[in-house]
Amino acid sequence: MLRALSRSPAPVVSLLSPRAAVLVETVRGRKSRTDPKAKSKLGRIKTPPPVDPGEMVVLKQRYTEYSLILRALRLEFKEQMLRKKYEEEVGSVAEERAKREEEEHRSLMALNDAENLRMREIREQRMQQEAEAAELKKRDADILRQQELENYIKEKERHILLLQEEAKDFITPENLDQRIEEALDNPKNYNFAIDKEGRVVKRTAFQR
Amino acid sequence: MPRYELCVILKAMQRPETAAVLRRTVETLLERGAVVRSLESLGERRLPYKISKHDSRHTHGGYFSVDFHASPKIVSELLDHLERDIDVLRPTLLKKDPELSQAQCCGAQKKKSKY
Repeated sequence: MLRALSRSPAPVVSLLSPRAAVLVETVRGRKSRTDPKAKSKLGRIKTPPPVDPGEMVVLKQRYTEYSLILRALRLEFKEQMLRKKYEEEVGSVAEERAKREEEEHRSLMALNDAENLRMREIREQRMQQEAEAAELKKRDADILRQQELENYIKEKERHILLLQEEAKDFITPENLDQRIEEALDNPKNYNFAIDKEGRVVKRTAFQR
Repeated sequence: MPRYELCVILKAMQRPETAAVLRRTVETLLERGAVVRSLESLGERRLPYKISKHDSRHTHGGYFSVDFHASPKIVSELLDHLERDIDVLRPTLLKKDPELSQAQCCGAQKKKSKY
């Protein structure tokens, strides 16, 4: 980390060392270890700043006292905050809140149940009515179908009877000659004329 | 069984020969299992145009109509047979439509038209 910092031009002392602390870490500036010393700095002897021992002792005492007081205060506040948090989550406040929420929940559930019951009554009534209507419709449809079936059967029977009547007139090998003679004797003519009012004219010009 | 109508145009012949042809035709029908309802004659008339059939040209012919019930299987063989008959000028086999009741008829209602 030191080598990386020695490449940056920013003043390193302010970054690393705390304000008014005695400890200062040695840091390389622009030059590396192998560079020669500058000519203006050849006779320089580095001395630490002078310290007055009496002053140092008093200051040290005062500082310890001060930091003690501050730390006590800080911890006091921290403890208060933790207690509050504890109360909030686990203690009495939480219990009261839980109780309130449970009551609210119960009342809401009761409301919901009542509403459900009401809707159920309405729904059941409606379904009953619909079932009755459907039943009625089904019965009507059944009756209609029955009637139609009967009508159909009657119609078919009528057809059969008609056919039986007509069957007496059918051509058989016995009356074949007779029928041929009859047909040749009575030539039929299906031509007719009709106008817009609907008048029919059966007499047409005879063609040889 | 479906109901057919056989409209034939026969050659203009004397009465006994026409009778013989008709007898022949109806007997063919009967032997193929048809039930013949009726036989009508529409007279001997002039044809609308000259018909050439079986090596001769005809101007007059006898129109006859046979009403019968038959199975659809005999239709093609019947027509074949009639085409081969030299006395038959034009055989026409038609199917009769089933009669519609009033309820089924959805055509023009009975009302006065503007024109």
